[in-house]
Amino acid sequence: MSISVQGITKVFSNRRDKKTMNTVLQDISFDVKEGEFVSLLGPSGCGKTTTLNIIAGFLKHEGGNIQVNGKDVNKPGPDRAFVFQNYALFPWQKVGENIVYPMKKQGIPKKQRQEKLKELLAMAHLEEYENYYIHEISGGMKQRVALLRALACNPQILLMDEPLGAVDFQMRQMLQVQLESMLLGSKKTALMVTHDVDEAIYLSDRVIVMSRDHGRILADIKIELPRPRDRKNEKYHQYTNELSDILRSALNGEVKNQGDEELLEFIQKTEKKDSKKTSFAQGGAI
Amino acid sequence: MNSQEKDIKRMVHATKMKDRNNWRKLNGKDFNIYTPIALVVIGIIWWIAADIVNKPFLFPSLKSVMEALFRAVTDLYVLRNIGITMRRVLTGAFYAFIIGLPIGMIMGYSKTMMRAFAPFINSLRQVPIMAWVPLSIIWFGLGDGPTIFMIAFTGIFTIILNTIAGVQDISKDYYNAARSMGANTMDIIKDIVLPGSLPGIITGLRLAIGMGWMSVI
Repeated sequence: MSISVQGITKVFSNRRDKKTMNTVLQDISFDVKEGEFVSLLGPSGCGKTTTLNIIAGFLKHEGGNIQVNGKDVNKPGPDRAFVFQNYALFPWQKVGENIVYPMKKQGIPKKQRQEKLKELLAMAHLEEYENYYIHEISGGMKQRVALLRALACNPQILLMDEPLGAVDFQMRQMLQVQLESMLLGSKKTALMVTHDVDEAIYLSDRVIVMSRDHGRILADIKIELPRPRDRKNEKYHQYTNELSDILRSALNGEVKNQGDEELLEFIQKTEKKDSKKTSFAQGGAI
Repeated sequence: MNSQEKDIKRMVHATKMKDRNNWRKLNGKDFNIYTPIALVVIGIIWWIAADIVNKPFLFPSLKSVMEALFRAVTDLYVLRNIGITMRRVLTGAFYAFIIGLPIGMIMGYSKTMMRAFAPFINSLRQVPIMAWVPLSIIWFGLGDGPTIFMIAFTGIFTIILNTIAGVQDISKDYYNAARSMGANTMDIIKDIVLPGSLPGIITGLRLAIGMGWMSVI
């Protein structure tokens, strides 16, 4: 199933001063073709999570429309499975019950539910944890459970909001490999929000960069690397540089908070280091 | 298969089939040994302190208090009255629960309902209990009626406020997640509002019963 975002505008009103409006998104349009994995990349606060929430149906938009397979969608539904940044796993249910919940809502008979549950748990190496409560498992496990819950009903569209955000570096790399292998077989359309350039390149077929300027799309880059991805491929580094450049131009002149200033400093420092290296090489050659 | 393999199998089975806390209880590791120890320590301190002070009128010795307690617990008159008081407290708390719970849940879930009822709830709550005594006697006659009414009155506001807090504490993400998994409104109430607000409800109930016992005096 394909997603078509056409001219979306979203305005938030300031809570304290009802008159000032904050136009977070202004006339945003992009398409996700069937079977494509697209990442929305951008600095914090640019509106990428808002866009995802609007596509999922959790927020209303002013102007424009969202079409899934050519039909307008306004409300949340099981055709668009969502993986939340904070997992949103029900703490009063065990791991197995959480994963089985969407299947129950769809009316899938009990035997099939149990079979699918076993299959999913085996895929994520979580078989022993079926009867544990959510607060008894670690962050990486919670992330996997949230992903399994989204995949339980075989959705055609997968929407992910920084799915690997709250996880440490090692686990993140491992989960990226697992996620890729899980999605490689099926022809799922996926839209992921992330602020990690490396993750975007590793997992997606296309990367859309959004900016803080009312969410304006700065670039829409196709990643042409063979699957399964190999970080040591030379072109990988090229893509990383290209996207970092675009991100920097998104931050330039619009530095809003401490985190952005530090990021800009870091980028400038790495630039200086690179330029020093090349000049040394040239000097050495003489 | 030898006994070690049997043990492993049994352990794996217990972990898989039941909550793993059950396994710990089977081993007896969950027995609370701290309360009896604390009681014994306090008892010893009391005994020695009463001996040192040696003024039985001001600071009774542990021995005389234990004797009086034993006499009270075995006295049928005392036991019957404890039963009557308990019945009143529990009946009052019950009424507070069945009236307060729906009001609290509706007010917690819907902002308009909250805005509609909150002024009444908040002002009615301030009326001191003793002010209700004459009115409740006229309404319910002498005997159980006024007592149960006042216990229920104290408890109902606690339950309402705690239920509202319990419902409002449910993160919005859970509603979004359930809707995107195909839950309709009945499902939301059954699967999210009820289990999610349960901690708040239980707190309200415990406080209401406790306050009821205090106010019955």
